Amino acid sequence: MTLSIKTKHNVLSALILLALAAGAIVYLSLQFTRMWTPDPVYEGKNPSVKEVRRLSDYNENLKGSKGDTNIYVIEGDEPGDSMLILGGVHANEPAGMLAAVYLVENLHPKAGTVYVIPYTNEAGFTCNDPLEASPMFFSIDTPTGPRQFRFGARVTNPVCQWPDPDIYVHASSGQRLAGSETRNLNRTYPGRTNGTFTEQISYGLVQLIKAEDIAVTIDLHEASPEYQTINTTVAESRAMKVATTGRFNMDWDGITMSVEQSPTTFHGLSHIELGTWTDTLALLMETSNPSQGREHGLTGSDLVIYGKDKFYARVKAAVGLKDSDYSEEYGRPIQQRVARHITAINAYAAAYTEEFANAAAAEDKLTAFTSMGLGASSYPDSDGHIIYEGRRGVIDLGELPSYDTLCTDLFDYLAIPEGQN
Amino acid sequence: MVVTIIYLAIIVFLLFFIIWNMFTEKDIMLQIDAALVIIPLVLRLLLIK
Repeated sequence: MTLSIKTKHNVLSALILLALAAGAIVYLSLQFTRMWTPDPVYEGKNPSVKEVRRLSDYNENLKGSKGDTNIYVIEGDEPGDSMLILGGVHANEPAGMLAAVYLVENLHPKAGTVYVIPYTNEAGFTCNDPLEASPMFFSIDTPTGPRQFRFGARVTNPVCQWPDPDIYVHASSGQRLAGSETRNLNRTYPGRTNGTFTEQISYGLVQLIKAEDIAVTIDLHEASPEYQTINTTVAESRAMKVATTGRFNMDWDGITMSVEQSPTTFHGLSHIELGTWTDTLALLMETSNPSQGREHGLTGSDLVIYGKDKFYARVKAAVGLKDSDYSEEYGRPIQQRVARHITAINAYAAAYTEEFANAAAAEDKLTAFTSMGLGASSYPDSDGHIIYEGRRGVIDLGELPSYDTLCTDLFDYLAIPEGQN
Repeated sequence: MVVTIIYLAIIVFLLFFIIWNMFTEKDIMLQIDAALVIIPLVLRLLLIK
């Protein structure tokens, strides 16, 4: 049956409906464009932040686009090697972004330089994933008031890059994936200078790593509680020693972390491609986030922040979960997920120093090789580590709060400075 | 870039006929349908969503 209401005043009703549609368009436009404004990051709180660069400094094609993003340069008191932290590669995995924001506002390295990008795929933060009913924002309670962050999409905003092909062919390997993966930043490495919008972001990141001789790159992610790589670090083969040493150090602190080597047949991912195309030791970490998966209930901001979901608890009771400690009562609060990331970053920095402490001695050999006319810029030491010319083998992130402290007090460290709230 | 221009031209073409149809249609329910369709099309035209 079709409902039909005839009118003799069709022009008047059309004008009224057109006005209502215009009102809806204005309202929705204002709502959607709120996500175009980057979240404030208060780097002024941290005297160790010496410079704020842009990704377009490394790939000028991004200048003025939604793909450009801030790179915060945090310098240690003493010289050391460089580390790059990527948060927000997937904008719907907020613990990585929040961990990066925490580092920008609170990290005081003792040795080395830390480059932090909280919103690596800024274009992903400018929209939501369609059909997921995700919140556009979530808010945390800090001592100086509520602080709001965007909850974006897994992939680049289609307004920036479209149409998606039926099949996405990864440029350097020929690997074939679903068409929408063409906008997934973690499938487009190493990128191309004349490639798609997302490939140009990956290309900028590769240029940053090369230009700044980044020794260790850590890509922060989240995944659903049933996903195999939660609470796992995936490491490219050269980074495996750092990953395993760091993992054992975390075990001593009671934090379980699995380690997996990057698959050699799955291309486009940060750890495998950055590890292959640059001299960085590339790692990727995942925490467990119930708002990511397919089993959860309402995807409100409470689920994003507290991770309490009765449906995941039922799934665990019925068939078990990879996140075997999951409970509806405790959930998976974002403080804990961020604490895992920060504790692991610190552990991997310490592991790098532990593994490469003899780099200076090895560099003498490297210099000898170079002076013999062998043109070496890297040298394998007796333990199988590759020592690179100019690197010191030291990254010391200084004093960081313990995992337990971060689990309870994280939001205190993210307080909005007085006068800016 | 050319694809985007073609896409936007198609949207303008559709919007013209939908709005034309709104003013000539005597059935309010169909006018409401048209008004609902206009909203996402304009958001697309403005490259907002």
